Amino acid sequence: MKLSISGVGKNFGAVRALDRVDLDIAPGEFVTLIGPSGCGKSTLFNMLAGLLEPDAGGSILLDGKAGALLGRTAFMPQRDLLLPWRNVLDNALLPCEIEGLPRASSRARAEKMAVDFGLRGFEKHYPQQLSGGMRQRVALMRTFMFERDLMLLDEPFGALDALTRSMMQRWLLDIWERYRRTILFITHDIDEAIFLADRVVVMSTRPGRIKLDRPIELPRPRDAHLLTAPEFTAIKRELLDAVEEESLKSFSA
Amino acid sequence: MSRGVVLRGLLGAALLIGGWELCVWAFSLPQWILPPPSGILATTWSARAALLPAAAMTAYEALSGYAIGAALGIALAMILALATPLRALLLPMVVAVNSVPVAAYAPLALLWFGTGALSKIIMVAFIVGFTVFLNALDGLTRVDPAAVSLLRSFGAGRLRVLWVLRLPSALPAIATGLRISTVRAMIVTLVTEMLGSQLGLGWTIFQAVLLIDFLQVWAAILVASIISLVFFGVVSAIERRVVFWR
Ligand SMILES: Nc1ncnc2c1ncn2[C@@H]1O[C@H](COP(=O)(O)OP(=O)(O)OP(=O)(O)O)[C@@H](O)[C@H]1O
Ligand SMILES: [Mg+2]
Repeated sequence: MKLSISGVGKNFGAVRALDRVDLDIAPGEFVTLIGPSGCGKSTLFNMLAGLLEPDAGGSILLDGKAGALLGRTAFMPQRDLLLPWRNVLDNALLPCEIEGLPRASSRARAEKMAVDFGLRGFEKHYPQQLSGGMRQRVALMRTFMFERDLMLLDEPFGALDALTRSMMQRWLLDIWERYRRTILFITHDIDEAIFLADRVVVMSTRPGRIKLDRPIELPRPRDAHLLTAPEFTAIKRELLDAVEEESLKSFSA
Repeated sequence: MSRGVVLRGLLGAALLIGGWELCVWAFSLPQWILPPPSGILATTWSARAALLPAAAMTAYEALSGYAIGAALGIALAMILALATPLRALLLPMVVAVNSVPVAAYAPLALLWFGTGALSKIIMVAFIVGFTVFLNALDGLTRVDPAAVSLLRSFGAGRLRVLWVLRLPSALPAIATGLRISTVRAMIVTLVTEMLGSQLGLGWTIFQAVLLIDFLQVWAAILVASIISLVFFGVVSAIERRVVFWR
């Protein structure tokens, strides 16, 4: 699904959270979004998911068309928000239940997907019984079960330790190649941003704007060795400079 | 509840009763101050023909009032959880009415609904309804806004959010309200019975006091306590089953 964002801004009272954001995303693309804390990344996602209205003048088009966005994109919020009274499978089935899809076929689909998501044998477990990495996979699976071409993932690996995190990154690329969805992915981790993306978008400090839009032409499939390759380091230096500049601004402001 | 907790509870009760019995004999306390547990037990047994129907009536009144009050309290809380403006209008009034001690309303209930079971059932439904309502409303409205947003992003409407998210997250609070209400239901039944009735443990106690039959008073208290404990225990056990994730 093609996404076009143009002139989207947001004020919260006197706080200008987001300035004018212009961004186009092609179908099947994997775009990562980095920027200082509080620059309006989650706010942008909330607007894309239809949970928040952009200020007048901005437009968000899906496949060139405007219209209600609620229920059009698969949104994964910053916290996993698994429901403690539902087991793994029932948590993942939540969007299908809300959509009113037939239960038996959704269930069959979820059972198959649980294998890809490394949750086999844990279908009947409750969220309290899972590790952080597993909880995050359940939340991701729930997002995938809501079959929408555009996925909005807000720091899905933010709370994980470095080791689990790099495993999850490779695993997500694998899943992405298999399910072929358009992904917009927020992260604070530059390595992660480069490793995953077709394009890295850097945002400025609040009020957030797009500061840099950097295509990543590293070959796929990507593996852990890429992180130490010279072409990777070169991109990283370039992005670090941009992010550093913004972070310094946010401290002096 | 683990077996250790149960055992320790039983041991504590045994110690208390043993100590009580000893004190009564050691200080040769007169019956109107404190009769010995053995005497209370003996009286309960010999007076069973009169105590049983009284206990059945009290249990019937407490349970019916409890069921009606709980159902109304939860239903009203669900309606007000959806209707925000109505909630802002009604809630202060509800809190005000609820803060007056129930016993104050009991004579009115007797006046309006007579000295039969109905006045007790209504009184119990009233107090249980308020308790459960306030707990349920608190649980229903205190949900994570981010979780509501997530459900809305899947296309869920208000009713769906209520059913899938608000109600389950409110279950612990509702269960707490239901648990507290068991004891309140018994208290209100007994108090209202004392003020006017033809049958019931409260009435038995009241009459026995007039007749200066203190063993009978204690026997009725014993039976009422047993009913109350069983009621509380059953509701607590159900709570642990239903709210398993806590
Ligand atoms: N509902 C709201 N009401 C008022 N202010 C808000 C609201 N939501 C966000 N803000 C403000 O908007 C700004 C951007 O917030 P947002 O959550 O989008 O940042 P973020 O880039 O996602 O930050 P982080 O990386 O820490 O998650 C912040 O200053 C925040 O205080
Ligand atoms: Mg955020």
